Amino acid sequence: MVTTLKKKIFASIIITQLFLMGCSTHVVVISEHPTALIKVLPYKIGLVLDNSFTDYSFTREKDEEKITISLGKSQSELLNQTFNSMFQGVSEFTVKPISQIKPIDLYVSVVVEDLQLSLPRETSVNVFEIWIKYKLEIFDSKGSSIHEWIISSYGRTQTRFLGSQERALHQATNAALRDAGVQIVTDFYQVPEILNWINIKKAQKNES
Amino acid sequence: MKARGLGEVVVICSFSLSMLIITFMSGCSTSTTIDEQKSSSTKLSMDGEEKIVIMGRRHGNSYETEPGFIDCIGNKISRSENLNVVQEKIFLDTFYPWFEPRIAPLNLNRMKVVLDNDIVAKKIRKLKIRYIVWVDGSTETTEESGSMTCGMAPSGGCFGFKSWDKASSYEATVWDLRGLTEKGKIKVDSKGSSYLLGVGPPIPLIAQVQGVACEGVSDRLKGFFDNG
Repeated sequence: MVTTLKKKIFASIIITQLFLMGCSTHVVVISEHPTALIKVLPYKIGLVLDNSFTDYSFTREKDEEKITISLGKSQSELLNQTFNSMFQGVSEFTVKPISQIKPIDLYVSVVVEDLQLSLPRETSVNVFEIWIKYKLEIFDSKGSSIHEWIISSYGRTQTRFLGSQERALHQATNAALRDAGVQIVTDFYQVPEILNWINIKKAQKNES
Repeated sequence: MKARGLGEVVVICSFSLSMLIITFMSGCSTSTTIDEQKSSSTKLSMDGEEKIVIMGRRHGNSYETEPGFIDCIGNKISRSENLNVVQEKIFLDTFYPWFEPRIAPLNLNRMKVVLDNDIVAKKIRKLKIRYIVWVDGSTETTEESGSMTCGMAPSGGCFGFKSWDKASSYEATVWDLRGLTEKGKIKVDSKGSSYLLGVGPPIPLIAQVQGVACEGVSDRLKGFFDNG
C-alpha cells in the first residue's frame, strides 16, 4: 500500500518535472569569435566589463513559457577578441580605475542596454530573431568621457525541420554577437569624437 | 467460386495499392527550371592553386540562404571537378568582418571598396582566392495540408495523412576577383510535393526540392570552370 503510494508520488513528480521542462528553454551561448582582419592601432585599451556584463543572462516569461539566454561569457570573449584585433593591447577591468594607469590610452566601458527576441510563431516570418543593444562609453586616460555610443546588433536563424528551439536561439544569438563585432570594428573609427582623439594622439606623437 | 472471388479481391487490392504508391511517388517528383547566362562562351580559367569561394546572401528581410545549401554546392563541385573550394565558414572567419551580412559587398563597386583595403587585398592574394560565387535564395514550404496523430492508438504507430509543397528559388552569380568582373549567372527554380502517410508506421514520401536545386546549380557551375 505504502509502496504504491510512493510510486504514485514519484510518478507525479516526474510528470510535473517533464511538464515544467517542456515550458522552459535555457540557452548557454558558447562561441568562438574570429579575429578581425583590420589594421592594428598602436594604443592600449582598458576594457571595463562589470559582473552584470560578464554574467549577463536574459530571461523572458511569456505565455507560460520561460526562455533564458546566458551570453555573458560569450559577449565578454567577443569584446576582448574584437578590441585585441583593433588595438595593440587590451587590459580588462571590472570597474573603471579612479587613478590614471600609465599604459592605458583609452577606456571602453560596455553595458547591455536591452535584449529582445522573437519566435517564428509570434511573427509572420519563419525565423528566430535576436536584437541586442549595447552602450559603449569611451573615456580618455584621465577618465574624461569622449563619447557615448549605442549599437544595436541583430541576428537570426531560420527554423529547420526537427531543429530544436535551443539550437535556433543559440545560432541567432551568435549571429547577433558577430554583428555587434562587425559594427565595433567598422564604425569605431567613424565616430567623430574618437577620430578626433586619434588625430590628437597622432599629433602628440609626431611632436614628441 | 468463393476462392476465385477472394483471389480477385487480393489482385484488385494489390493493384489499388500499387496505383496509390505510384500516384504518391509521381507526386513526389520535382519540377525544375534552370536559366544560365555567361559573359563569354570560353570556360573560366584557373591555375592549379587558385580557389573558389561559394557564399550565401543573408541580407534579405525574411529569408537567408541556408548554409547547408552552400555546403552542398561546394561539396559537389570540389568532389567531381577537383576544384579548390574554400568553405564558407572558413572564408567568413578569415575575412571577418568584411563579408558579414551587414556589410558584405552587394555589387562589384562595393567589392572594389573592400579590395581597396590593403589588408583584405593582400589576404585574398595570399590565399589565391580567384572567384566568388554568391548564392541568393531559399527553400520555403508554400502549402501544407492534412494532419497525423501518432502514438495514440493502443498499438502505437500513426494515423492520418499530411502533405506539403516546397519551392526553391536560387540565383548564383560568379565574380572574378582578378579583373573585378561578373562572369555569369545561374538561376534555378524547383518545386515539389511531399507526403506522409500514416497507417501504422508513418510512410514518408519526400520530394528532394532543395537537393534538386543544389544539383542544378552545381552542374551548371561546373560547366563554368576549366580546371585543367
